[in-house]
Amino acid sequence: MDSSRRRLLAGIAGGGLASLAGCSGASTADETAFTIGLASDPTDTSQYDNWGGMTPYWTRVIEPLVWGTDDMQPKPWLATDWTATDDTTWLFDLREGVPFHNGKELTADDVVYTFEENILTERGDFIYGWLHLEPGSVTKVDDYTVEFETTDPFPGFPGTIAHNMIDIQHPDADRQAGKIIGTGPFTLEEIQPGQHVRVERFADYWGGEPNPTELTFRAAEDETTRTDLLESGQVDLIYNPAKSRLSLLRERDDVRVDAQQSAGAVSVWLNIHRDPTADVDLRRALNHAISQEELVGTVLEGVGEPARGPISPVIDWVDEDELPTYERDRDTARELVDRSAYDGEELSCLVSADMDDGRTISQVLESQFGEIGVNVAIELLENASVKDRTNRGEFHLHIGSTGSNSPGADYIMWENFHTMGVDNKDLYEAEGTGLYNLGGKVDDLIETGYQSRDPAAKRDAYVEAQRKIMAAAVVVPLFYQEYIVAADAAVQGLELHPIERFAEWRDLTRTA
Amino acid sequence: MISYDYLASRLATSLAVTFGVSVVTYGLIFLTPGDPAEIILSQQLNRQPSAAEIEAFRAEHGLNDPVPVQYLHWLTDVFRGDLGSSYYSDTSVSTLIVEAVPLTLELALAAMLVALAISVPAGVVSAVHRGSPIDYASQLGALLGVSMPNFWLAYLLILLFPLKLGVLPVAGAGSFGHLVLPAITLGTGMAAVVTRLIRSSMLEVLDEAYVDTARAKGLRERIVVYKHALRNALVPVVTILGLQLGTLLNGAVVVEIIFQRPGLGSLLVDAVFERNYPVVQGVTLVTAIVFVATNLLVDLTYRYLDPRVQLGGETA
Repeated sequence: MDSSRRRLLAGIAGGGLASLAGCSGASTADETAFTIGLASDPTDTSQYDNWGGMTPYWTRVIEPLVWGTDDMQPKPWLATDWTATDDTTWLFDLREGVPFHNGKELTADDVVYTFEENILTERGDFIYGWLHLEPGSVTKVDDYTVEFETTDPFPGFPGTIAHNMIDIQHPDADRQAGKIIGTGPFTLEEIQPGQHVRVERFADYWGGEPNPTELTFRAAEDETTRTDLLESGQVDLIYNPAKSRLSLLRERDDVRVDAQQSAGAVSVWLNIHRDPTADVDLRRALNHAISQEELVGTVLEGVGEPARGPISPVIDWVDEDELPTYERDRDTARELVDRSAYDGEELSCLVSADMDDGRTISQVLESQFGEIGVNVAIELLENASVKDRTNRGEFHLHIGSTGSNSPGADYIMWENFHTMGVDNKDLYEAEGTGLYNLGGKVDDLIETGYQSRDPAAKRDAYVEAQRKIMAAAVVVPLFYQEYIVAADAAVQGLELHPIERFAEWRDLTRTA
Repeated sequence: MISYDYLASRLATSLAVTFGVSVVTYGLIFLTPGDPAEIILSQQLNRQPSAAEIEAFRAEHGLNDPVPVQYLHWLTDVFRGDLGSSYYSDTSVSTLIVEAVPLTLELALAAMLVALAISVPAGVVSAVHRGSPIDYASQLGALLGVSMPNFWLAYLLILLFPLKLGVLPVAGAGSFGHLVLPAITLGTGMAAVVTRLIRSSMLEVLDEAYVDTARAKGLRERIVVYKHALRNALVPVVTILGLQLGTLLNGAVVVEIIFQRPGLGSLLVDAVFERNYPVVQGVTLVTAIVFVATNLLVDLTYRYLDPRVQLGGETA
């Protein structure tokens, strides 16, 4: 009796272990199918219901008219060309012979439908301010030409619509039912809420048949879990593994780690309208107190590039060689502090709790500023509280970033540094101040760059404005952001882009 | 027999509590700093939104109305069965909740099963063998379970099973295998609490005269312990289990994140940080209702476990 009970229990245990072994969820054995671990949930319907329960990013099911080059210039995509016929009118020529996933050809009617019925109607009124378009402003000229009428002169329009959210969908799509019909290299096959989106190869893709037969985009929001998924072989590729495990991953022969500079930059932003950071000597002293190289090498584990300006140089109108530099020099820094209006008071430094490595970065800065005699109090707050405090100008220093999800990055200059930009406007109108706005000539240069259709003229104006901004030490640049992709070493052919979400999967292969 | 008066009074109290929760939540979220328009737009656009974009968003979602007016609009809609829509999109809050509930409920029930599977035998054996090595081992285990942060246990389990042994998925949902590690992670902490509670409750009950009587009648020890003693010892345990179930429904955020099982907890926490007020209100309301209902259920269960327990209006 006892022995048979033991046999039964042993059998159950053995069967349990065997079934657990079958539950490992290892990535598929299909050599042409790939699983990608993302740091964000590709099925987050709380944000993206207009795409049938998946985000518009990553999956390449749907495509915009314009894409972005590696140096953040607008690049022809579903539109082959565009011209401005006057200050507010744009004509876009569509690529001919582009099939949707339902076999129908892309025409101007589909573009008008997408903008008028979907983008400008369903996605919220904020779209008007973003795209400078209002309902009724998109019209068909002929089957392959569409006219856009912006609400005001907006030379950055083509770059601004080079964004995954401004994609073209076929009118037969039933977005609420998860039926998405795009023109991308992959067709939507399955959405598992909170878990994954699975897409399959679209053999008739206008850019040529993709290599992968199937891609699965898995949500793995915790960086440790994401890294575990890769190490266990349950995914083929992950974005941004845990930094603490980067060096171990780099040592492994079966894992490849690639870094790509992004369009983001992190700086300490100084409130130039509040004492004592209103004093340029103090601001320059803070710049001389910091070693960006040390910060990147230690806190960031080498992920990032030491910065000299507040905007990533992958954006074509940024030239950091033109900017004044502040080498780390504590003696000079102390002299500047002595010369400034600073008399030992505590400066508030706001850091968002959401910021990657924000706590460690702020602790290092606190120490480095302390070494030149400047007393900084770090306030680690949730993101909304940081925004609230900065909106009211109740801070001296703020660790924050700039970046862009499209080549249309002019807003970085306008919104941060122009007096009428969103960061400065309210305080300027209420008190005649702002936060980071030098006003005068800098405002003029930003306006010139913003309204320029000539890339060289835009660049000249923006570079000159950035030179003045850095000469006045409005920010302490810290680092240009990079992102990391770690993959099974057998996975080849991934094309990374400064905009993370513009990754190209079409050439993915797996070597033996 | 439970009286209708008692049920009516409990229902009225429950409604008052739920209403109070909604008022307090609404007041608190509007007192917290941060403009939802700015937070949400900067997430959607991945950049700082312009003043025009922010103003358009505020107007579209009625955020320029006074707070009491906004609350009244929300309350009116709730009475019509409409919890509103997420500020991010047109997705209704009810849909978001319905999508999140299965994963949450599945995990909560599995964790509770794990907790009971560990705690009932451990608590009983510990009490029956009081002062023995088994008792000390059980108490040490319970102490470890209470002290161990669940995120740490989660990572340890991942390290052991998927990474070292190659069994079980690291994260995700959709199969029994996906449920095992999160349930163990969450259930262990709860098991520790319940084990200690069952032990102390059993110790009290085992000293009761009716247990001696049962033994004197010649009943087998197993029957005495599990049929006579344990049932009475479970009364305080049910209270804890009821409260724990309520906590599990939106308190398992860390486990949800590590194992990528986004449920009600993650939905609420994300909504709070994003200032997505309709979602915060909707989830809080549903959670309050679940808590109130669970408490009512717990009270009714007392009656089943111990017929001597009287609920309001009952006659002995």
